[in-house]
Amino acid sequence: MADSKNSKRPIVIGLEVHIQLNTKTKLFCPCSTDYIGKTPNTNVCPVCLAVPGTLPILNDSAVALGARMGLGLHCAIQNYSNFHRKNYFYPDLSKAYQITQYGLTIAVGGYLDIESDGKPRRVRVHHLHLEEDAGKLVHPTVDGRLTGAAYSLVDYNRGGVPLSEIVSEPDMSSPAEARDYVVRLRQLARYLDVSDGEMESGSLRVDANISLSNADGSLGTRVEIKNMNSLKSLERALEYEIARQNKVLDSGGRIVQETRLWDDAEEVTRSMRNKETASDYRYYPEMDLAPIVITDEQIEGFKRAMPELPWEKRDRFMKDFGLSYEEVEILTEQKELARYYEDVVAAGAPPARAANWVRMEVLRVLNERGADISNFSLSPSILAELVKKVENKELSSTIAKDILDMLSQENISLEEAIKRSGASTVRLTGDLLGEVIDRICAANSDVVETIKTGQDKKGGKVKFLQGLVMKETRGQADPSEVSSLLSKKLEG
Amino acid sequence: MEIYELTARETAEGIRTKKFSAEDAARCSLSRIAKFESEVNACVTVTEDLAIAAARALDGRIARGETLGPLAGVPYIAKDNFCTKGIRTTCSSKILENWVPTYNASAINFMNEAGAVLIAKSNLDEFAMGSSTENSIIGPTKNPRDLGRVPGGSSGGSAASVAAGYVPLALGSDTGGSVRQPAAFCGIQGMKPSYGEVSRFGIVAYASALDQVSPLARTVDDLALALSVIARPDPNDTTCDAYCRPDFTASLSLQDLKGKRIGVFAGFEAEQMDSELYDALTKAADICKSAGATVEPIDLPIAVKYGVATYYVTALADASSKLGCFDGIRYGTHIEGKTLADMYANTRTASFSEEVRRRIILGTCLLTEGFYQNYYGPALKVRTKMALEFDELFSRIDAYLLPTSPSMPYPLGTKETDPTRLYLGDIFTVPISLGGLPGINLCMGFTPESLPLSVQLVGPRYGDSDLLGIANIIERAVGRPDVATPRKLGEAK
Repeated sequence: MADSKNSKRPIVIGLEVHIQLNTKTKLFCPCSTDYIGKTPNTNVCPVCLAVPGTLPILNDSAVALGARMGLGLHCAIQNYSNFHRKNYFYPDLSKAYQITQYGLTIAVGGYLDIESDGKPRRVRVHHLHLEEDAGKLVHPTVDGRLTGAAYSLVDYNRGGVPLSEIVSEPDMSSPAEARDYVVRLRQLARYLDVSDGEMESGSLRVDANISLSNADGSLGTRVEIKNMNSLKSLERALEYEIARQNKVLDSGGRIVQETRLWDDAEEVTRSMRNKETASDYRYYPEMDLAPIVITDEQIEGFKRAMPELPWEKRDRFMKDFGLSYEEVEILTEQKELARYYEDVVAAGAPPARAANWVRMEVLRVLNERGADISNFSLSPSILAELVKKVENKELSSTIAKDILDMLSQENISLEEAIKRSGASTVRLTGDLLGEVIDRICAANSDVVETIKTGQDKKGGKVKFLQGLVMKETRGQADPSEVSSLLSKKLEG
Repeated sequence: MEIYELTARETAEGIRTKKFSAEDAARCSLSRIAKFESEVNACVTVTEDLAIAAARALDGRIARGETLGPLAGVPYIAKDNFCTKGIRTTCSSKILENWVPTYNASAINFMNEAGAVLIAKSNLDEFAMGSSTENSIIGPTKNPRDLGRVPGGSSGGSAASVAAGYVPLALGSDTGGSVRQPAAFCGIQGMKPSYGEVSRFGIVAYASALDQVSPLARTVDDLALALSVIARPDPNDTTCDAYCRPDFTASLSLQDLKGKRIGVFAGFEAEQMDSELYDALTKAADICKSAGATVEPIDLPIAVKYGVATYYVTALADASSKLGCFDGIRYGTHIEGKTLADMYANTRTASFSEEVRRRIILGTCLLTEGFYQNYYGPALKVRTKMALEFDELFSRIDAYLLPTSPSMPYPLGTKETDPTRLYLGDIFTVPISLGGLPGINLCMGFTPESLPLSVQLVGPRYGDSDLLGIANIIERAVGRPDVATPRKLGEAK
């Protein structure tokens, strides 16, 4: 596949991201939003089934979450907005219209700063609006696709679940930037407790608009891509589309304005509908709902309730803890990990060393187990104790890592773990340590000879001896003391 | 005096004082239906067993000395677009022919809580789209004042039921005149409250922005009584106002109209009016003058000239989307097709009448790109201008008199074929709907040949209570309309 970095034509990408709002109930009725895995059509009521005579009742929590996300995106929250009916027939849409905001939306005109390939970039946000989700069609075929299905079933369990759609300006110029924007947006949604942002479960869905600019700099014809279920497929679909469009243009063809579906299995985009067959949604103001009125006082209240945002936390960590941008990006990626780190520091661990331990060791252990920081068994205060012992040279890093592994697997005390690790808090130092070094050197006289004759230019042999000493002393020795004693011995 | 001749208030009083039982009232109502229904055809479903059971339960509570609601034991009928739990609700449409709702409309719940006893579900023009109650799966309802004529519509079944003495009180829905006009044609009183006074929850929508639950009765007092029961905040309808309603019966103690300013519609040059109705309007104005009001002729140029066009653009656009839910998938008639589009087309073509399809197609066109800018957009602007015209009007006067309908009740089958002519019959009612204003049809007596005369009294938005007071004074001067013995008058004109 062609690399988008080699595209002769400038790439212009805008994204429409739907995130499922983290409310207990649906947008317009009291049904639960926890629909995944439920028996079809059991998570429904007369309102979301569009039973004649029923009326929607707006869920205030969805409005609050929409406003919160809008504030996180630096949008202006509107005092007055309303809903429209987006009319189209499809069996998963019970009313034959989707209630969505159109024109007057809850939040407008914001931005999101991202960093892509080491370069900062500001992606402007056109607006954020609230809308309801549709149900789902189930096709009784082997692959679950419509093709070949003798009939289709419809499940309204998801119908009416609240979504907020965030529409960006076409400010991204590569698939990587598009991915980084989605990653940052997802991080923001999670920081704000607005959504779990899971792409795989459909809590976060991305539609992309992509065009290649003309030689004179004017925008090319835009193509919309749907059905990308992971960050990887987002990037792949965009890469594919850039290559496809370049190929069409190179051969003198024209890009058709259309909607294309990404096929994850075949790794291609396929035309779904073009401009001529595009739907006219006949937007109509939703007269069954009173307008959304948010007072300035309420907006102030939403602002006061805003938690620290990812980039605010990042800047604070850099300033307060003297950490690098890269370190902090990792520590603040998840607010739960950031909180864990802060708790470790608060429990007395030196910030720089604690950062290394959380970033390298805690994440390693979590990764190995496929576990999550929120249910990590090692408490920040214990980790702080461990880090302090390393800092005070009571334990070597190697032994401390073993202890961390033990503590994260078993419910035992720090003391017990230290005991089991074989490490003694009795330090092996001075003459005693010197004896061990002499013994190791004697047993490896050939290596010592190599070093002394100056053949160990890269210092690998010294490190080898150092490692043997550390192993022999079972972590009771301080590595720096081992290093200095060993150099003396080798020089002598 | 027979029970069926009593008003709702008198019926409730008779039951409370044990002059007769709730079951007596229900049986009287049912026998009246049994006697005339084959001629009038006002009811889609008569809920006899449920009514008797409800009445007996009330009688038991009365016997135990329990305090009951203001309408305890009063028989009533609801238009068949009000959802009734366990009772078929058809909207007079083939698509809902066998549909039984699982819940009650809020207005039905409020009536039940007040002790009213549901006797039947009444006929309407399919989905409340029409003004003659001829377009229905059960066939046309006939006007009890003259069985050769239409009862008006779309709440023609409710209006005919009250006029024929089936019940003293009925509920209808008024979108562009659907309660006021049939009340006029059947010679009774009917009121469309201000938009937002009564919950629309459970009313199968025609046009969300205009539909309003509306009572029909033979006295203004009963309208006020009914409104006191049904007009209240409802958490199930956020377009229903949350404010605390006044006592709608309080203003009925008004004794004269001293200090009141009444406007009378004066823009007749351009309109074709039946002269009897012009005379009825003059009579109403004279009554107001005699009662001490200052009366002045006032034109309403924007509302009357552009009302019908604006109304149909607004209502049909709304209806085209509201009726989309009838796709044959979850409820109602379902007809298979080779493709999804075929299924939709087969189901909807076979199950909606021509008039309903006409309105859906018109509404769909009106919202289509290109048309929207030329029709729906301007309609919204005209509606704003009309609102300003009404604001100005009610800064000068307390109430406004105008005809309810430009024509007397017409013979069955004469206008059904000409939709444009039918729509023009709404000229005096639709502006009031677009303004969200309260409007009351008052029976102004009868012609020598016993056809009902009528006038419409309109007030400012949320001026429902004061309006009832003024209407009551006019009714007192005219006299209450009597119960009709359904019959066919001599050859209809």
